[in-house]
Amino acid sequence: MSGGLPKRILKETERLMADSPPGISAAPKDDNLRHFDVTVAGPESSPYEGGVFKLELFLPEEYPMNPPKVRFLTKIYHPNIDKLGRICLDILKDKWSPALQIRTVLLSIQALLGAPNPDDPLANDVAQHWKEDQNGAIEQAREWTRQYAN
Amino acid sequence: MNLDDDSPSIQSKRSSPDLFFPVSDSEEEEQEDVVAASATLGGPSSSSIIPPSTSSSRANGGRITQQSQKEEFLGSQNSDDIIPLDTKPSSSSLAGPSKVKRTLSQSPPANIPIGFEQGYLGEFVCEGWSLSKGKGYCSPGSKVIFERPKPKNQLEDDKAIIARGKEKVGPARLVNGKVVGAKGKPIGGKQVTLGSMMGKKTQTAPPKKANGKPVVDSIIRFRNDRGFVGRLSVQEAGSLTHLLDTGIIELSGHVIDCPQSLSTGCTILLNVKVYLARKAFEKVEKVGRKEEGSFWQEQKETTEEEAMRKRKDALGALFSRIGVKPLRSNALLLAQKKNGAAEINETSLEHFSDFPKPKRSPSPSKGSNASGDKGKEKASAANSDDEDENEDSGDEAEKLDDRQLNEIDSIYRKAQQGDNQLEETDPPNTFLYTLRPYQKQALTWMSAREKGDESIRDNQTLHPLWEEYAFRKEQTEGQPIEIEDDDDFVDPSRKFFWNPYSGELSLTFPTSNTKAKGGILADAMGMGKTCMMASLIHTNIDADVTSSPPPTTENDEDPASKRPKFKQVTLSNQWRAIPTVPKPAANAPRGTLVVCPVSLASQWHDELGKMSEKGTITSFMWYGNDRVDIERLLAQEGKKKVDVIITSYGTLASEYQKWKKNKDKPSYEGGSLYDHEFLRIVLDEAHNIKNRTAHISKACYELKGQRRWALTGTPIVNRLDDLYSLLHFLRLEPWGHYSFFRSFVTIPFLNQDPKALNVVQYILESCLLRREKNMRDKDGKLIVDLPPKTVEIQVLDFSRPERQIYKHLEDRAKRRFIQLDAEGRAMSNYTSILAMLMKLRQCVDHPLLVLGKVIEDDETADKLLDADTGDEKNNLKDLIAMYAGGAKSDTNSDGEEVDPAFAAKVLKELGEQETTPICDICSNEMFDEVLLPCYHRCCQDCIVNWIGTCEDQNKPALCPSCSKGPIKLSDLRSIQRRRKRINPITGKYIDENGLPSIQQGDNSNGELVIGKVDLVQSTKLRALVRKLEIMRSEDPEVKALVFSQFTSFLDLIETTLTKEGIRWLRFDGSMSQAQRAATIEEFGKKTKEPLILLISLKAGGVGLNLTMANHVFMMDTWWNEAIEQQAIDRVHRLGQNKPVYVTRYIIKGTVEKRIMKIQRSKTALVNASLSGGASKEKGASLADIKKIFGLDEDDSEDEVY
Repeated sequence: MSGGLPKRILKETERLMADSPPGISAAPKDDNLRHFDVTVAGPESSPYEGGVFKLELFLPEEYPMNPPKVRFLTKIYHPNIDKLGRICLDILKDKWSPALQIRTVLLSIQALLGAPNPDDPLANDVAQHWKEDQNGAIEQAREWTRQYAN
Repeated sequence: MNLDDDSPSIQSKRSSPDLFFPVSDSEEEEQEDVVAASATLGGPSSSSIIPPSTSSSRANGGRITQQSQKEEFLGSQNSDDIIPLDTKPSSSSLAGPSKVKRTLSQSPPANIPIGFEQGYLGEFVCEGWSLSKGKGYCSPGSKVIFERPKPKNQLEDDKAIIARGKEKVGPARLVNGKVVGAKGKPIGGKQVTLGSMMGKKTQTAPPKKANGKPVVDSIIRFRNDRGFVGRLSVQEAGSLTHLLDTGIIELSGHVIDCPQSLSTGCTILLNVKVYLARKAFEKVEKVGRKEEGSFWQEQKETTEEEAMRKRKDALGALFSRIGVKPLRSNALLLAQKKNGAAEINETSLEHFSDFPKPKRSPSPSKGSNASGDKGKEKASAANSDDEDENEDSGDEAEKLDDRQLNEIDSIYRKAQQGDNQLEETDPPNTFLYTLRPYQKQALTWMSAREKGDESIRDNQTLHPLWEEYAFRKEQTEGQPIEIEDDDDFVDPSRKFFWNPYSGELSLTFPTSNTKAKGGILADAMGMGKTCMMASLIHTNIDADVTSSPPPTTENDEDPASKRPKFKQVTLSNQWRAIPTVPKPAANAPRGTLVVCPVSLASQWHDELGKMSEKGTITSFMWYGNDRVDIERLLAQEGKKKVDVIITSYGTLASEYQKWKKNKDKPSYEGGSLYDHEFLRIVLDEAHNIKNRTAHISKACYELKGQRRWALTGTPIVNRLDDLYSLLHFLRLEPWGHYSFFRSFVTIPFLNQDPKALNVVQYILESCLLRREKNMRDKDGKLIVDLPPKTVEIQVLDFSRPERQIYKHLEDRAKRRFIQLDAEGRAMSNYTSILAMLMKLRQCVDHPLLVLGKVIEDDETADKLLDADTGDEKNNLKDLIAMYAGGAKSDTNSDGEEVDPAFAAKVLKELGEQETTPICDICSNEMFDEVLLPCYHRCCQDCIVNWIGTCEDQNKPALCPSCSKGPIKLSDLRSIQRRRKRINPITGKYIDENGLPSIQQGDNSNGELVIGKVDLVQSTKLRALVRKLEIMRSEDPEVKALVFSQFTSFLDLIETTLTKEGIRWLRFDGSMSQAQRAATIEEFGKKTKEPLILLISLKAGGVGLNLTMANHVFMMDTWWNEAIEQQAIDRVHRLGQNKPVYVTRYIIKGTVEKRIMKIQRSKTALVNASLSGGASKEKGASLADIKKIFGLDEDDSEDEVY
């Protein structure tokens, strides 16, 4: 209260720092505790395996009534993530529920890496590629991962 | 016309033998003269001393008059000059002084140290004219004697001078008087002009004609032992003549320069030494008092007064002529002095502060019986305080108002100095309570005040009207004149004091000689003022009891000390005359009258009872129909004896009115409070009479009583004038006189002159005792050891609907204000703006308050509530209706009874939970747990907020946890875990809309109740309830106070508490005295369950002693922090032995935050103006209102509260 962070955010942050999910790290910036630096490791047996992807996450004033804003900073070849790093994920939009947390959001994003969904694309060219030449697309994703996510 | 004489004259003194004092260095010859003079009264004394002078004066007299064109007086003047010189001036010009003499003779000269003859004041150079002609009369360095022409009994003043003047002086031969204007040499521009001579002359005339007039000629001659040499220039002589005539000063001197050969009228430069004669100081005591009384009453000036006035003027002129500067002066004088009657400047003050050891004049009578050192430190400290004030005042003139009001503490500071050194007095055994050390000190002080003993508190502050001076060391003859630093002089035996207002002089340290008995006991709240006063009553009752039968008690008590002092109090005739002759025994002053607010009356009664050994003190509530005949009541004896009458301000006021109307009717039978003279009158919460014109104040002034006490924690509420009324009640001279107070406090204060504060400080030092809780005793311990107090400010967030309503309201208010302001009508619509603010403040408490009927008669409010623009989707009323109806609208439709099976399942589930679950949304323990249809649970706020957000986004509100839904508000079910059985008094749970709450579960053990969600509760209300629940679990017998300024909010709290099964009591302004007393008593009873007292801030903020509680909740924010403080101090005061917890609820982002900010910035103006201050203040407060609307600044939400 009193202009500071809601208790919920403090609690979430604490837990994220102390007990982060496998392959995920998130830490608030010094100058803004609602602004997190996030890294997500590419899931095993996915084209992103071995890559470490940077993201930024921001908790708006209305959080948790409104979802956090998340985007990739690391270039990634994924049908649901566009060139600007924006992510197409339902829980970040209309399926948001205040019972969700940063942690669950990041886990969802990690899962999204393991299960691209070209039928609900954000990056249309990538989705197209994925649909037409899945292997080629996967190879491309591997290549980008090697190239950018290290 | 006149002869120039210089005469160090102390004429009048000699005639009263008791005043006579031997001048040590006088010559015998002169003593004889004295005798001769007094014997011949008006005889040519001067001639007997120095025959040549007489003759010369005569001779000259004729000449001068001729030469100086004063023909009209020629004949008479001559004779006057010559013969009457001896007789007439004495009778006429000395009329004043001689009267003075008479009064003098009655007053003991005790304040003048034996052996004191005169004090050297200083010297100055002036110019005189020769009246002689020829060589060898005088030369530079020759001593001269100053004389006034021929006043009969002018005498041996010269002796001292002669003694000193025993040196060789050239042969003196008398020559002619000078011709004014013709021969005077133009030296230094000081020459007398014809005009001035004329002026003088007209002055000289009257003495001959008018007997009563003290106008005197202004000639001062000087001579050496050869005879007359000349006269002082008229300008110089002007201020001296009166002083010489009245014997206040003595002069001696020598010639600095003169022509070798004198010619008539030639200029002679003289060095004149001025001495203050003993007589100057003798006068002071008696005349002074009278003077003081009448001077300020602007009555017709009496001869005495005229003499004093002249003396004052003359002394003032003399001081500035000599360049005498005060060692110490009151800032008051600095402020008021326009053209220096005496020259006072910053420099002199600085000198003083560099010299931190001013010493007291030796004062056998008043001298400090306490340690001198301490006194000195105090004095110097006090003085440097004054200086600080001066420095500050410069560029901060504008701020003064705020600053002064905010620094009231500093006003008291002076009065507090050294209070921890007071001795302790034990109360008599009949007083059952144990007093704390500081209370015993108060008893000492109060007893002393009642005895009129001022020395108990070492009163070392200079009377504000007096200045401190020192006599200088005299140069020894022949030595070069050194320029001495004033500070070198400070030798206590050479101090003297001057009052430039009255002209009085004194050798003793002047403190104000108030003889009022009583004072202001202004200890901070909760320090036991009642208790201390009770101990005083006991102390005094003792005297009553021991000295036999009641009727005569008081008279026997200490008639000697009491009567005379009492008389003095009433000296000033503006006070209502109080019989000073002992009344018939039956009417002797006895009994103590306590006047207090009605809410405290029974508390006084009870506490007096508790504190007193049985049968020692009986109090009687003079109230309502219980009033009887006061005399008969107090005359009762034995078991029925009544010692203390307790009444309320209201009762007193009505009694006063009745008495005033009836007292002069023949049928009037007496028996009212006004027909009895009390031994003591006590005003509790005396700031009730702060308005001097208020009826109640007058009613208090008129009470008859010997000893008068005012108890109040806030003697100064808003303005310094508040104090006046108290002083007037106390009959404290001279400050209790309005014109006096006005001159020295009110007007300077209005002029934003910080000196007003100094005067107030001074006044308070003499009559006020104030200790605060954080003060320490002489051993450095806190005088009051209260348990710790923790204040927590809870900043809450509105729930969604609340915020909508509030925003709506605020936007409208803002718009309206901006509109008014732009049209320049903000001022004229001031009240309606305040009404808008009021609405906002209420809305913060609870949106439903905005619909209160108070507001509905208010036009502006209605406008606020009505949609001003047709296109608004929801007007405010709708919003509120939705808010209030959240549950209601569903009640009949789908508010079907909850399925018992469902309830049972939930019960079971809930029953298994030991701890409060964590809400998924806010991650806190659930507060106002609600059940969703899917059995998930949330805080009510959280889920309501979520549903609202979803509505805004036009998406279905699904359960956050399981995404089932959509959920409607009406689907929510509240879960209330009751640790208590349901309050049997209330029976059914009924909310304020009259809707029965749905209850589930087993009422008999009542552990869980599942019902409709009550959306009507406001954020603050829920926060309160939550907190109370926590407290209940920690301390099942907890007692708490809940303050709000809105009784309508208290109503809502009541309802809620009832629903929650929490017992409450209520205390507000609508209750009768009996009800209040009963409530307090009930609250004090031991209970096994939590008990909450709901108090309206205005009715219960003051005086009540509620130490049985140790939790305080401030539900809303008042303009004035002090009021809130008062409220908190109901609990945090003596008698409290638990830690005190204060919780203040503030809603984020609302007017409350800004009000608090203003509170913080200490803009006391808000208080003044919002409670109906002058229009001048409105401008300032308009700015405040802008602040409140957040219009003036960046209004960040990140405020740190």
